[in-house]
Amino acid sequence: MKKNDLKSMGKSFTKYILIIGVLLIFLDFTFHRHEYFSFAEIYGFPAFFGFVSFVFIVILGKWLRKFLMRKEDYYDQ
Amino acid sequence: MISSFIPGLIMIITSFLLPTIPQYFRHPAMLLSVGLSALSLFNGYGTFLEWDILGLNLILYQSDSLTLPFAIIFHIAAILVIIFSWHSKNLMEHMATLAYAGSAIGALHAGDFFSLFIWWEATALTSVFIVFAGNTNAAKDAAMRYLIIQVSSGVLLLIGACLMLYQTGNHNLAVLDLKTNFGIFIFIAFGIKAAFPLLNGWLQDSYPESSVTGTVALSAFTTKLAIYALARTFPGTDSLIWIGAIMTAFPVFFAVIENDLRRVLSFSLNNQLGFMVVGIGIGTELSLNGTVAHAFVHIIYKALLFMSMGAVLYRAGTTKASELGGLYKYMPFTTIFCIIGAMSISAFPLFSGFVAKSLIMSSLGGMGMVLIYFILFFASAGVLEHSGIKIPYFAFFAHERKNKVKEAPINMLISMGIAAFLCIAIGVFPKYLYQILPYAVEYQPYTLDHVISQLQLLVFAIIAFLFLVKFKLYPSEIRSTVLNSDWFYRKMLPGIGKPLFKKIGLLTDSLYKNLGLSFKQVLSKSYKFSNLSYIKVTTPSFAGTILISILFIMLVIVLV
Repeated sequence: MKKNDLKSMGKSFTKYILIIGVLLIFLDFTFHRHEYFSFAEIYGFPAFFGFVSFVFIVILGKWLRKFLMRKEDYYDQ
Repeated sequence: MISSFIPGLIMIITSFLLPTIPQYFRHPAMLLSVGLSALSLFNGYGTFLEWDILGLNLILYQSDSLTLPFAIIFHIAAILVIIFSWHSKNLMEHMATLAYAGSAIGALHAGDFFSLFIWWEATALTSVFIVFAGNTNAAKDAAMRYLIIQVSSGVLLLIGACLMLYQTGNHNLAVLDLKTNFGIFIFIAFGIKAAFPLLNGWLQDSYPESSVTGTVALSAFTTKLAIYALARTFPGTDSLIWIGAIMTAFPVFFAVIENDLRRVLSFSLNNQLGFMVVGIGIGTELSLNGTVAHAFVHIIYKALLFMSMGAVLYRAGTTKASELGGLYKYMPFTTIFCIIGAMSISAFPLFSGFVAKSLIMSSLGGMGMVLIYFILFFASAGVLEHSGIKIPYFAFFAHERKNKVKEAPINMLISMGIAAFLCIAIGVFPKYLYQILPYAVEYQPYTLDHVISQLQLLVFAIIAFLFLVKFKLYPSEIRSTVLNSDWFYRKMLPGIGKPLFKKIGLLTDSLYKNLGLSFKQVLSKSYKFSNLSYIKVTTPSFAGTILISILFIMLVIVLV
């Protein structure tokens, strides 16, 4: 059962994702990626956009808790 | 004979017969009725049934290239829901589900606004029982709110249809615009069911309160019927592009902080509808194809995700992220199916979401709409966040689980298996999906540019997630309520209304009291001048009552 351990699963998942990430960036240098908008053709643009969007969504969502989060029984009161 | 039988009607009739069918034969009977209704898919295009009533010509059954893909997927969804609920003995829910699916299929084939209105309300009245079948106090309250909102949408549609008939003399389904008053009424009616921004509260309010199986049924029909209606009547309406773009982006933030995973999926559903609405707003053949393709694949993977969360609710007793985790050991098949659904909705290449979303993105890119394009690109990262990662991560992984649970029942696994198979099959062989789209368009989703671009976005968004978890920046799940647009009528309006009505109540009370007093004074004065024996209350005898009734009936007859 050790192999099923969540921590080791997480570690190997992280390793493979990072390898795929590096490969994808490397691929970008091997051919010219055609996009609808020229600035999106910069090397690694979608990767950068994905990373920043994700962080932005999580951080802004967390901040929005201040305004939007209430107790679980809020509507029952 | 079959050719002039309204599709879906056989399902509604069967649903009413269900109580007379023994328990063991109910699900086969339900499947059979869907199969019989599906025969209509081979009828081809045309108008098959009309009805002249009250001087109106109602088109009860028509079919064309826009109807067909929706009709196919509605039948598939009905089959998935029936198999998924095979273990359940809740008769009311089965009846409601079958009649609801039948009504939605019937609505697709309506050719005029009045017929559409009838089916529109039928979907509302049948689906409210599915919410009701959640069988908790919260579900019952949510069902009442759901009913009010859904019926209001129908009433707006009816007002729009009447105004249209009055002003133009026509009531057939046609392309409308927002320059006419009836166009606006119908637009808002559709907008409520399509969960436009600020009109969306009912969706996240009611869907997660429904039962294990009920939510799966709800997720498929109502909103996609609205998408179909919008695609038929408002293609190329510019404002839909912005409405859709807002719909894709804003639920993303709510989904991040929501704790109930079925509610997270409801926010996600809202975001997916946004993509379809944008496609309708652009209004080109490519974009409308994109909307229909997206609705088609979305119904399957969203049902799959709701099924996997239904299975979790069924076995673990909750879908609250704060109380789940580690289920992968005990529910391995459900875990795999959920991940397939998650990868499909996130639009990984070789999964169904990719081949559908590409059509909409390409039409935006082709039109040079840079801002909308990147809002949708941004929203794609959001989809990955809440549906691609949050759902499987918090339910099945996150941390080890202490108490054991069983794998989902076999019928649930079969239903999820079929949906998962379709997600991959459509992703790998998109041409079969493209063949049934309304317009013949040559499109190749698998170009190297496109695949690399999408993979970079998704993989680096996952890396961002790992980064945030590693540095403990990812928000932990907290048991809470997240405010949504239903707050306006659940909290704000009662907050203003209750004290106001109380004051009005006090006012009228005192008014009545004062009036009562003065009336008594007048009366007591008049007593002085009159003989008290005149004021006598008499009760009519039995014979007297009969006599009065006969006189009343005669009066009615004479008047008529």
